[in-house]
Amino acid sequence: MTGKIFDFKLVFTQIPDLLKYLPITMELAIASTVFGMLLGLLIAIIKIKKVKVLDKLATFYVSLVRGTPVLVQLYIAYFGVPMLLKYINQQTGSDLKVAAIPGFVYAVLALGFNQSAFDAEVFRAALLSVDKGQHEAAAAIGMTGWQSLRRIIIPEALSVALPSLGNSFINAIKGTSLAFTCAVVEMTAEGKILSGRNYRYFEVYVSLAIIYWAITILFEKILKFVEKKISIPEQVEQISPEELESLRSPKSKAKAYAANHKRLGGELAWQKNRGLS
Amino acid sequence: MAEKQRFVIKDLKKKFNNNVVLDGIDLTINEGDVLGVIGPSGTGKSTLLRCINQLEVPESGSIEIGESQIDLSNAKKSNLKNVTQLRQRTGMVFQRFNLFQKKTALENVMEGLITVQKKSKEEAREIALKELDRVGMTQWANHYPKHLSGGQQQRVAIARVLAMKPDLILMDEPTSALDPELVGEVLETIKQLAEEGHTMILVSHEMAFIRKVATRCIFLDHGKIVEDGTPKEVFTAPKQERTRDFLRKMSLLEEPEYVI
Repeated sequence: MTGKIFDFKLVFTQIPDLLKYLPITMELAIASTVFGMLLGLLIAIIKIKKVKVLDKLATFYVSLVRGTPVLVQLYIAYFGVPMLLKYINQQTGSDLKVAAIPGFVYAVLALGFNQSAFDAEVFRAALLSVDKGQHEAAAAIGMTGWQSLRRIIIPEALSVALPSLGNSFINAIKGTSLAFTCAVVEMTAEGKILSGRNYRYFEVYVSLAIIYWAITILFEKILKFVEKKISIPEQVEQISPEELESLRSPKSKAKAYAANHKRLGGELAWQKNRGLS
Repeated sequence: MAEKQRFVIKDLKKKFNNNVVLDGIDLTINEGDVLGVIGPSGTGKSTLLRCINQLEVPESGSIEIGESQIDLSNAKKSNLKNVTQLRQRTGMVFQRFNLFQKKTALENVMEGLITVQKKSKEEAREIALKELDRVGMTQWANHYPKHLSGGQQQRVAIARVLAMKPDLILMDEPTSALDPELVGEVLETIKQLAEEGHTMILVSHEMAFIRKVATRCIFLDHGKIVEDGTPKEVFTAPKQERTRDFLRKMSLLEEPEYVI
């Protein structure tokens, strides 16, 4: 132990130790986000289609989840689910292995449920923002409800929802720092363990802050890129006769594909990428 | 098509709340007919079209296409197959174009061919390019709707309908949302379709155009067909006072020549 009040060097030297647990953090974040988004989309569709009974249930669920802190939800999942399983075992004589369920599962469930309530509202607003004419046009050419949802409506809604969904994911990454409540050792939990050893609590939290911040910046950049990728390009060049010819003859498929995607924005990005590599 | 297709609409009734919009329409359309539908605002001209391809479900009414008879008022799941079939045989051109915003002009035309008619991508692209060519939009194949003018969008929308090879094309005020200087190009396209012998129902306020292009014209008022005849009969010698009244208001009894 040195006598320094603040060990500046340690803030950086212990980052690699913490990063060993980054995969767990990301697994938690991605798993709960995927789960939360799927459930959220389902809830949004239930609410928009006004499915009987289920939509009331969905409203109740969203209100409940949004109205309780995520920390409390994690504890409820961690203590409640085993109790439920034990009860089921008791009542039915089944042998569900309560102890065999890893803490990871509780954490993903709780964080995922939490996210689904927020994502449901995001999806609902985005789906409703799609012009009614798009539904009608799809229906008028004979597409089924599901086809038009999948091919027309969801892609359009996604561009609207993407910024909020990205936010939701970034929140999820930070939310994983609470997973220690379910006995999952991810980055923050590992930080606690480390500082328990060397008593450098402050330094460890500064290190963690730097790591979380860096990850967030990284994902913000990725998000910006994806947003740009799926948005309609600002400008498109008129198709040239040669491109048209290649589009017409199905044999030169690759060429046709290239021509079809020869949009000004895309092309510039592509050239830039090539210049960099 | 060996036999001449006929579309027989029977007893079409539609109410919005307590407002009767269509009050028992009986209408027979023969193959090759270009039926112009005129009438004051709110008399159910658009609703007539929207009921024919089931964007609105009427209280009663049926449509007979060749052999098959389809109950239009049945919105149940069991009728879904009929509805889908009906929609494949009719094509709709909307007032506000309704092109798929996230798809290029080419993809817009290809969409139905791929998802509904289950054609391969290559085949769909070939057909789509042909149809875009027909409406003079091939150069803009890779453009998105937001890059196109209203007239161009409407021409792509027409190509999208043509690609599906419908037996009956429904046009719901195709030029009403356009800037005046863009109306001509769309009307030119519609005229071309009429000359090619497509069966169409054309709801429009372009009276002069209807007079020129339609083979038959009906005047709709308060949900009923008031006048039915050739455009010449309807525009120059209407039998009913209501038709005369309407045309007088539009000051169309003396006929100005429409120039495209």
